[in-house]
Amino acid sequence: MLQDLRLRLRALFQKNAMDLELNEELRFHFDNEVEKYKRAGMREDAARRRARLVFGGHQQVKEDCQDARGISFLETTTQDVRYSLRAMRKNPGFFSIAALTLALGIGASIAVFSLVNTILLKPLPYPNANRVVMLWREGPLAGVGDMPWAPGEYSVLARAATAFQNLGAFKKDSFNLTGASSPELLEGVRASAGLFPALGVSPLLGRTFTAEEDQPGYDHVTVLSNRLWQSRFGGDTGIVGKIIDLNGYPYTVIGVMPKSFTFPNQDGIPPILDLPKETQLWVPLALPVAPKGANELGVIGQLKSNGTLGMVVQDMNVTERSLEEHIPQEKGWSSRVVLLTQQTVTDARRPLLLLLGAVSVVLLIACANVAGLTLNRSLGRRRELTLRGALGAGRSRLVRQLMTESLLLAFVGGIMGILFGEASLYLVKHFGPDSIPHLHETGLDLRLIGFALGITLITGLLFGLAPAVGATRMNMVEALKEGGQRSVGSATAPRIRNALLIAQVAMALVLVVASGLLVRTFYSMLRSDAGFDVARIVTFELPLPTSKYADTGRMAQLYQQVLLRLQSVPGVRSAGFASVVPMGGAPDGTVIRMPEHPTTKRSEQPYANYSFASPGYFATMGTPLLRGRDFSDADTLNSVPVVIISSSMAKKYFHGEDPVGKQVGVATTKIPVRTIIGVVANIKHASLREEPDPEMFVPYTQNEIKVWPSMQTMQFAVRSRTDQTAIAESVRQAVHAVDPDLPVAKFATLATLVDRSMTADRFSMLLVGSFGVLALILASIGMYGVISYSVMQRTPEIGVRIALGAQRTQIFVMILRQASRLAVSGIAIGLIAALGATRLMTRFLYGVQPADPITFAVVSLLLASVAFLACYVPARKAMKVDPMIALRYE
Amino acid sequence: MTDQHIDLPQGTLDLLILRTLALGSQHGWAISERVQQVSSDVLRIQQGSLYPALHRLERRGWIKAEWGMSENNRRAKYYELTRSGKKQLEVETDSWRKLAAAVAQILESV
Repeated sequence: MLQDLRLRLRALFQKNAMDLELNEELRFHFDNEVEKYKRAGMREDAARRRARLVFGGHQQVKEDCQDARGISFLETTTQDVRYSLRAMRKNPGFFSIAALTLALGIGASIAVFSLVNTILLKPLPYPNANRVVMLWREGPLAGVGDMPWAPGEYSVLARAATAFQNLGAFKKDSFNLTGASSPELLEGVRASAGLFPALGVSPLLGRTFTAEEDQPGYDHVTVLSNRLWQSRFGGDTGIVGKIIDLNGYPYTVIGVMPKSFTFPNQDGIPPILDLPKETQLWVPLALPVAPKGANELGVIGQLKSNGTLGMVVQDMNVTERSLEEHIPQEKGWSSRVVLLTQQTVTDARRPLLLLLGAVSVVLLIACANVAGLTLNRSLGRRRELTLRGALGAGRSRLVRQLMTESLLLAFVGGIMGILFGEASLYLVKHFGPDSIPHLHETGLDLRLIGFALGITLITGLLFGLAPAVGATRMNMVEALKEGGQRSVGSATAPRIRNALLIAQVAMALVLVVASGLLVRTFYSMLRSDAGFDVARIVTFELPLPTSKYADTGRMAQLYQQVLLRLQSVPGVRSAGFASVVPMGGAPDGTVIRMPEHPTTKRSEQPYANYSFASPGYFATMGTPLLRGRDFSDADTLNSVPVVIISSSMAKKYFHGEDPVGKQVGVATTKIPVRTIIGVVANIKHASLREEPDPEMFVPYTQNEIKVWPSMQTMQFAVRSRTDQTAIAESVRQAVHAVDPDLPVAKFATLATLVDRSMTADRFSMLLVGSFGVLALILASIGMYGVISYSVMQRTPEIGVRIALGAQRTQIFVMILRQASRLAVSGIAIGLIAALGATRLMTRFLYGVQPADPITFAVVSLLLASVAFLACYVPARKAMKVDPMIALRYE
Repeated sequence: MTDQHIDLPQGTLDLLILRTLALGSQHGWAISERVQQVSSDVLRIQQGSLYPALHRLERRGWIKAEWGMSENNRRAKYYELTRSGKKQLEVETDSWRKLAAAVAQILESV
């Protein structure tokens, strides 16, 4: 064995030395032979001739010896590679098109796979991630699902549930950090003590909350995020134990979290919880003992070590009864349990599945394309292959040669693909939407390179093997006889080629239809009626510190002062505020009652969003007042309570009657109903593609409920006369003239916010669109290849036709007819496939049907014209065939 | 080249080479001469088969080659049996004897 290997290696690497030795050995033998004959009495030349005769072919002996040395496998491979490289140099056009096609297909797949890899497959950075569930409240009404928990519900849950090791509740809160440097508004979270242990995360410094600290009055402690600790406190390792000022109260820093921990944040958690994009600090939730309260808490639970999801579900059913016992309104409600790992794979991540589908189609087209090209090429090489076969190359040897070429091609394509993929990842990372979590962590890793090599190899084998076997399965005698002519080839080859082409056209059509639908979606979003006019509007948030502004009367007074100041700022045309402005978050909602339309069934309980608004808010936003009047300064606590409803609320609950003058109120009868004074157009809140919920607006001066909804934060909208950014400073000054400690948060132009809300849609549209373009390019390359090859094959036939008097235009039409048969079949099959495929896209679409006839028609036309362009050149070439030259070929 | 030459049956060449080398190391030409001599000119090894066979046997590790000086003072490649070559010689001799005996038995029985 060892000897064998040594000699094989020597044969490979010291080929020349071995050859010299062999020569010398044979020479020695030959000379001895001559000597022998001479001794027997022959003359020198006779002896030599005799020796040569006995000796046989010197070269043959040498080759037999080389074979005997057993070098064939490695040597043949290097030979094959060398031969393939030569073949590629001889045919750079084929090679570069094929390699480029592969590179595009593989590159796009790598890019998308690495996105999917990072965003869908990477585990959450919490040790217990797989054993943590998120809990939601499900209302008895249609459309009321996945609601947050109310504090009252949570405290019952915490007492009654037995299936959890740890429970954690949280809600968003913002904190005004004052002190040494300028006031800063921090986006934080109020979290119960169980949150950190439930996830299994320990702090980097210090500790997290104790159960004692999670009680009102003991809760002035805070845990900082790594980023806040670095940016605001310079990474001071002595921070634990220091006091900072939040909302005007002293808080003791008790811990700092590791870098990877920012839970909870927007990442994968529905916008109803309105969490910060990145949590900067945590403060104990410290729930007061109170009745139900507002549904505003997110709840997670860690399963017990031997617990299962099924046990949790059972446990929740038991808990449900206890909830009904303690809180009468809970009747009909239930809970939904979802694993945190699944919770986070939500809407933000779904576009990736779309991309994965799109890119697989691109890869398939690329493979079909290269297979077609390779098949053409190996058919074109029949003569060469036949000749090599006739000279003694075995069939397996020829197949191997073709395979080597394919693999080499795939390899080069793969390398280029990795580079191309890396480049596209770079672009996606820099221009991708913020809403996709972990996007910036995406990069090539080992698994990815394995994946790339995998598809490279499979592609290489797929498109290498079929043509290789096809091209070598032929009658050698026939082929040689036909050798001089450009034979039509076996009957199956063109059929395979045409099928490949039709498949390419069909797949390209599906992709382009998909991109077309996404483009239409995007434009219907832009054109859709958002209920406001973004031009020259800036919005900002004004959170009032609880220490200074405790009661709603004091708050209303402050907001009024700010509003008056703002209205007198030069350049401001109008100003107003509301609980939430568009793109500012989710409004609160409530079950309502309408005395004129009493409901008996619980399941039909009406509900609506419930927000405060100021007089002039709708005018500022450009929201049309469809009926009635706006709020005025005369609407006070002493006047009739009034309300303005949205047109969707009017439509849903007043069915065509005029709602103005009718009455509506929150469900509890303790609070008097309000009189509807106006109807405004629907205002979209989080996205241009949402279907607006029923909404009611209450003047901020008539807050008789006081405890709900919170008036602690209002969002302002200011419409300027000219340039909106120029007034930023005057707006700040106006606010600070009223109270210099107030932070002006989230200052932004509404246009920017709306634009940002569309990044995910734009991202899908651009990526799927570029895959569509890629598919079109690949399909037209394929079309061009097939048609020009068939023109080349038919040159003699065309020559004869022309010689016999066919018109040149007839030839042109004949080629086009052949091409259009293929294109039309491709388009027809593609249309059918697209009808099925686009139905899967419904959730990505807005304002357009999955089977949108306009898109389908336009895309079919587009594909037909691309196909026409692709075969125009070869058809022109056919038209110009010179019969003399064509016939001389024969 | 007289009529009494007969072709070597398949597989016997290796046996003859191994047997010849059992007497001591030899170069290729001497091996072929010796086989011819000992067989009283009945067996002749064609060079075209001798050298590939030698290289094959070397690869299998039954013989090993070394350059040395010949009787007429030229560099020549000498082959000698290795230990596994000796074993192989025994195996092949044994099986050849059995084969020859069996063939003879059949031929005589008719």
